[in-house]
Amino acid sequence: MGAIGYLYRRIMLNKARIALHKPITYFYIALLLFYILILPSSLRVFARQLGGDSPEGMAAVLTVMAFWIVPGNLIAYAKRKGLMYRNSDVHFLFPSPVSPKRVLLYAHLKTLVAQVLMNVFVAVCGGVIFKAEFWRLAAYFFFSIAVENLLEGSIMLLLYGSERLGEKQRDIVVKTAYGLLGILVLMGICWYIRRGLSMGTVSSFLHSDMVQLVPVVGWYIGVVHLLLLGPTAVNLAVTAAYGLLLAAVLAAAWRMKCTGSYYEDAMKFAEDYEEVAKSRRQGDTAKRLGRKQKFGKAHISWKGQGAKALFYRQLLEYKKSKYFIFDSSTFMALLGGIGIAWLYSREGGSGIFETFGPFVIPAVSAYLIFVFTALNGKWAKELKSPYTYLIPDTAFRKLMNATAMQHVQSLVNACLITVPGAAAMGMTPVGALFCILFYVILSANKLYALAVAEAVAGGTLGIAGRQFFQMLIQGVAITMAVIGGIIGTSVGGVLQGYVLMDVFLALFTIIFMVIATLNFYKMETT
Amino acid sequence: MLEVIGLSKKYGKTLAADGVSFTVPDGRAGILLGPNGAGKSTVIKSIAGLLRFSGRILIQGQDSRELEAKRHFAYVPELPYMYDALTVREHMEFITRAYGVELNEAKMKELFERFELTDKKDKLGNELSKGMMQKVSICCALIIRPEVILLDEPMVGLDPGAIRELKSVIMELKGQGCTILISTHMLEMVKGLWDVTFVMDKGHILGTYSKEALDNEDLDALYFSVTGQGQPMEENGGESWEQ
Repeated sequence: MGAIGYLYRRIMLNKARIALHKPITYFYIALLLFYILILPSSLRVFARQLGGDSPEGMAAVLTVMAFWIVPGNLIAYAKRKGLMYRNSDVHFLFPSPVSPKRVLLYAHLKTLVAQVLMNVFVAVCGGVIFKAEFWRLAAYFFFSIAVENLLEGSIMLLLYGSERLGEKQRDIVVKTAYGLLGILVLMGICWYIRRGLSMGTVSSFLHSDMVQLVPVVGWYIGVVHLLLLGPTAVNLAVTAAYGLLLAAVLAAAWRMKCTGSYYEDAMKFAEDYEEVAKSRRQGDTAKRLGRKQKFGKAHISWKGQGAKALFYRQLLEYKKSKYFIFDSSTFMALLGGIGIAWLYSREGGSGIFETFGPFVIPAVSAYLIFVFTALNGKWAKELKSPYTYLIPDTAFRKLMNATAMQHVQSLVNACLITVPGAAAMGMTPVGALFCILFYVILSANKLYALAVAEAVAGGTLGIAGRQFFQMLIQGVAITMAVIGGIIGTSVGGVLQGYVLMDVFLALFTIIFMVIATLNFYKMETT
Repeated sequence: MLEVIGLSKKYGKTLAADGVSFTVPDGRAGILLGPNGAGKSTVIKSIAGLLRFSGRILIQGQDSRELEAKRHFAYVPELPYMYDALTVREHMEFITRAYGVELNEAKMKELFERFELTDKKDKLGNELSKGMMQKVSICCALIIRPEVILLDEPMVGLDPGAIRELKSVIMELKGQGCTILISTHMLEMVKGLWDVTFVMDKGHILGTYSKEALDNEDLDALYFSVTGQGQPMEENGGESWEQ
C-alpha cells in the first residue's frame, strides 16, 4: 500500500475508533439516521402534494441540484479552492516525494465518505419518495460514485493541478462556469415568459431537451434522465457527449505534468482552514473560509472598571464586526420563525402536533440551539485568555460580564424565532414572552452546562466524558422543563405550562451558573 | 549539495526574495540569518517546494521540484503540525512509505530513545505538546536518511536535552556527508555547528561568510555588523538589568 493509502486508512480507522468512544458520536449517528431514514418518509407527503412523487420528480430535484453543484465545483477548482488540506499535509505530504497528482487525489478521496452517505440518502429518497425502480437507483448510485467521481476527479486534476493554466486562463474557466449558469437562468426566464409560472411549467423546463443540451451541466442532467426515466434521442446523445468528455479529460489529466505549483495556494487554504476551525471551536462563527475577517472602525465609551472591561471589549469587537452580534444562529432562528409561521398558516394549525401546538416554538428553539449554536460560545474563548484571570475582580462579575453579550444575542434570536410563529398562531403577548424567555434561558443553560461539565468531568474523564456529562445534565434540565410544562398545562392551562417550564429550566440554569462561577473561582485561586 | 540560484519571489507587488543565490556543499552546515521580514521564510519554503518562484533550486544536482530530488531532501518546519489521528509511530511509518524507504525498526527505536519519545510512540498527534511535536518532526526527517536537510528554527520549543541531542545529530549528519541548512535566530545554539553563514535582509543576501574566513569572530558580532541592527547592550555601553 502506498503512502496515501496508508495515511487515508490509518486516519479513517483511528478517527472511527476515537469517535466510538465519544457519546456525542451516537447523537450524531442518530441524527444522521433520522435524516437518512425518517426524513424521506416525512417528505413523501410533501412530494405527493406537489405531484412530484415519481422518478420524474427525482430527476427534477437532481437537475436543480446540478444547476449549482456542477458550476460551483468548476469555479472552486479553477480558483484552486474546494480541496481541503490541513497544516499537517503541508508539513509532511507536500515536501515529500509523493506525486503532486496523488496529493490532489488524496484531498478528493477525503470527500468520499460524505459522497457515499449523500448518495445513500438520495437513493433512499429515490425509493421512498419518488418510487424509482431499484435497478435504476443502483445504476444511479454506481454512476454517482464511480463515473461522476472519475469525471470530477479528472476535471479537478486539470483545473487545480495544471501548471499550464495561468491566472487569466483560470479566470476564463470561472467566467465560463458562470456563463453556463447564466445560460440556464436565461432559458428559465424565456420558458417562464412563454409558458407562465406553474409547477407544470417548472417541471417541463427541468425535463426539457434544451437544458440537457447545455455543455457539461446539461450533459450530466441528460445522464441522470437516461438512468431514471429511460432513453430519449436527446439524453442518449448527451450521454455519449458526457462519455467523450470523460474520456478526454481522463486522458488529459493522466498526461498532464504537475510538479506541485498548486502547493502555495493549498498551503494558504490550509492555514485559513485551521484558523477558521480554531475560531469555531472557541465559539467565534464570524470567520469565513477564504475571506479574511474584516473589522471596521468603532468606538465605545468605556464605563466602569474590573470585569466591566470584558463586556466592553466584547462590545467593541462586535461593533467592529461586519454583522455586529448577528451570525449563522441568527439566520437559522429567523428561518425557523418564518418556517413555523408558514407551516402553521399553510396547514391551518399544527397538524399532527396539534395537542402540543403551544409548545412547537420552544421545541424548535431547543432543536436549533442544540444543532446550530456554537458549542462553546464566547465564554470558552474568555477562559483561554490569561487576561481574564489577571483582572482584579470577583469570579461572578467576570462570568456575568463575559457572557452578557451572548445573552443579548440569544434574546435577539429568541425574538426572531418566536415573533413570526406567535403572530401566525395568534398567541398572546404573554405567551410569546415566555417562549422568548425559554430560548434565552436554554441558551444560557447550554453555556453554563459546558462550564459545569468542564469542572466536574473535564479533568478526569477527558473530552468524551465532558461531552457526555454536558449532554446528561442538559438532558436532565430539559426533561424537568418538559415535565414542568406538562404539569402546568394539565393543572392550570397553557400559560401555567409556560411558567413552570421556564421556572424549572431557570432553576437548573442558576445552579449551573453558580457551579460555573465556583469552578472559575477555583481556577483562579489554584 | 544544495544550490539556490537567482531565487526570486513576489507576493503581489512585494518582492520577498530578489535574486537570492547561495550554495551549501556536501557535509557542510549553512546558517541562514536575517532580521524578521528579511525573506528567510520565503527562501526556506521555496526550497521545501511550498512556493512558486523564479530561479533554480538544485538538490544533489536535480531540480528541487523533481520527485527524485525530493527523495534526498528532508524538511523540519518552524511550526510542527501533526496528523491529529496518527500516532507517533504511524507518522514514522507514513513518512517512510512516502519516501519509499524501508522502515528500519532499529533506527526508529534509536531515534525515539535519543529524543525521549519511546513512551510517546503510541500517542496521537493531538495529544502531544509543542516540544514533543518538534521532536517527532525531527525524527521523521531523520528516519529517511536525507542527503540534504532543511531545519527552520529547529531548537524552538525543545528542552535542553533535546537541543544537545539535535546538535549531536547535526554533527553526525555532517560527518556522513549530509548537507544542512539551518535558519535560526538562536545564534548561541548553532555555535560550533556551522561552516558557512548567509546573512539576508530585504530579500537579498547581504553576505556569505565561511567559518575559516571569519577568524573566530562570533555570529552575534557578524550579524550585527552586517545588518546594521542595534549592538548588544554591553557593547553600546547601555545599562544592564542587573544594577
